[in-house]
Amino acid sequence: MYTQADKRCALGDLISHVQRGDCVAIGGGLSWREPMAALRELIRQNIKALKLVGSAHGIDIDLLCGAGVVAVSAESYVGFEQDFGMAINYRRACEAGVVKVEDNCCYTLVQQLRAAISGLPFMPIRSVQGTDFMQLHPEFKIMVCPFTGEQLVLVPALKPDVAILHAHYADQHGNLHIEGPPVADILFAKASEKVIVTVEEIISHEVLAKKGVTIPYFYVTAISEVPYGAHPTSCYPRYAYDREHTAYYYQTAKHSANGFREDYLNPFVYDCKDNDAYIEAIGGKARLASLEQWSAGMEQWMKLYE
Amino acid sequence: MNNKNNIQTCTLGELMIYQIALSIEDGILAFHGFGSPLVQLALHLAKHTHAPRLILVAGATYGVNPTPAFLTPTSNDFAMNRGAECHLNIEELFDLAASGRLGRMFLSGLQIDRWGNLNVTRLGNDARVTLKLPGGGGGCNLSCDAAHVTIWTAAHRVVPNDQGRRRYRLVEHCDFVTSIGHRTSEGIHRSSLPLRGQGPDCMITDLGVFDFNGDGHLQLKAVYPDTSVELVAENTGFDFPVTENLTTADLPDVALIEFIRNLDPMKIHQRELGPTDRERTFQLNGA
Repeated sequence: MYTQADKRCALGDLISHVQRGDCVAIGGGLSWREPMAALRELIRQNIKALKLVGSAHGIDIDLLCGAGVVAVSAESYVGFEQDFGMAINYRRACEAGVVKVEDNCCYTLVQQLRAAISGLPFMPIRSVQGTDFMQLHPEFKIMVCPFTGEQLVLVPALKPDVAILHAHYADQHGNLHIEGPPVADILFAKASEKVIVTVEEIISHEVLAKKGVTIPYFYVTAISEVPYGAHPTSCYPRYAYDREHTAYYYQTAKHSANGFREDYLNPFVYDCKDNDAYIEAIGGKARLASLEQWSAGMEQWMKLYE
Repeated sequence: MNNKNNIQTCTLGELMIYQIALSIEDGILAFHGFGSPLVQLALHLAKHTHAPRLILVAGATYGVNPTPAFLTPTSNDFAMNRGAECHLNIEELFDLAASGRLGRMFLSGLQIDRWGNLNVTRLGNDARVTLKLPGGGGGCNLSCDAAHVTIWTAAHRVVPNDQGRRRYRLVEHCDFVTSIGHRTSEGIHRSSLPLRGQGPDCMITDLGVFDFNGDGHLQLKAVYPDTSVELVAENTGFDFPVTENLTTADLPDVALIEFIRNLDPMKIHQRELGPTDRERTFQLNGA
């Protein structure tokens, strides 16, 4: 339980809660509300050998794989959908054997988190039987239900060492407000040992309470105000997904591992001492303003996907 | 019928969307997942036409009955979620499936075998992953739990490489079973496993439409105006039965085509198709 009155800290201090070898749950999903600024700081601090758990993800996992800080991936999907296709850095790392593949499945993950949240050693599911996930995860066990005689799969509790989230608002006590789909963020927050969060804006408790508390403060270890901290993923209603930047990202990844390092990691991660420097690197306020224009009308919005 | 755009033909994508839509029953709860623009459009088309009571749950956002502004290339986008009547969250959607209340799910694979097993996890084996695929999301769980499954792929046709070798999409054997069909790789029948759902009952590809016979084996049910049983066989890595009354699949009418084009002005769904398949069009009856 995290009860301190003021949880605000700098981004660098926020990330120092993550340790080498940690099991990390990353919030958001696909191109929506990924804690990208926090992940870039994680790479700058060179915290390695991470085990990643999650549902459907994209550039967040791919970036960490491209930077060589991942040892195991237990995500259920890592890719760029119909936008760009397969996640290149992730693929390269998995196929080279650098990242161990322990793919999971969304409901299995949900039940494993629920076991942790409920203080139980496992949860039962009926699905997964007959698929090769049973071999991939020898820790899953079969039992016969003592009530119905049905054969069920038991999946062990999953308690990530740290959840890294990006939210719209927090108060200084650490209450969080998320707009739009929470994806697995609430489950991650309740199941993890530590919860570290970047937010678009820290506001007063009175204003936050009116918006509604999505995640109560006592789950939250520390918060850091990092405006545009989800870029290049979206944080609607504030800003849309930066497809143009993601296209550039993808091209550099596609070129080669070294090309990705030189043309993406160096200019946008290592050479940026903080998120302000990153914002300058991606084109400053003018670039951000164009992403905020999505709400001006359908044409403006569609333009962002061209 | 008002045909202000003078539509004379439909594209392969539109034909596939229509055929997927025909598999969707009215009044059920169905979920379109992510990375699946053909299916996303099919669900909206079904709800707009023969399935007005469909409970349409959008993939990634878990919005219920949204009216998307336009189709986006990424599924977790406010544009896809516009006007949603209410929202589920990740655990609620999968709980509905686990308790038998998800009527239909839509799944695909880089490898599809004769029993409807799908692989979107990896090529190669445990010791060596030769191609890491993106992974199945919730597909594994839902292949077990959903009452029915529609399989689709826009890459049935395989072009031989320089040595004349084909890497089939419809394969003899999946390197990894991400989602289960009617028999496991050890030959165990689905009916002897304690699974909630009935498994896949149809498959729509770029070459034709299949159902499953009494053994749970894929069976060709319809071809397209520009395909044949021979062409389908040539592009399939295993032998398959053909239904006695093989037909040519119905095409969508002009109103349906207009609906699809309005909902997907950027033609995102065409990204599921290969460059040659994007050019395939079919003359509409009476057009």
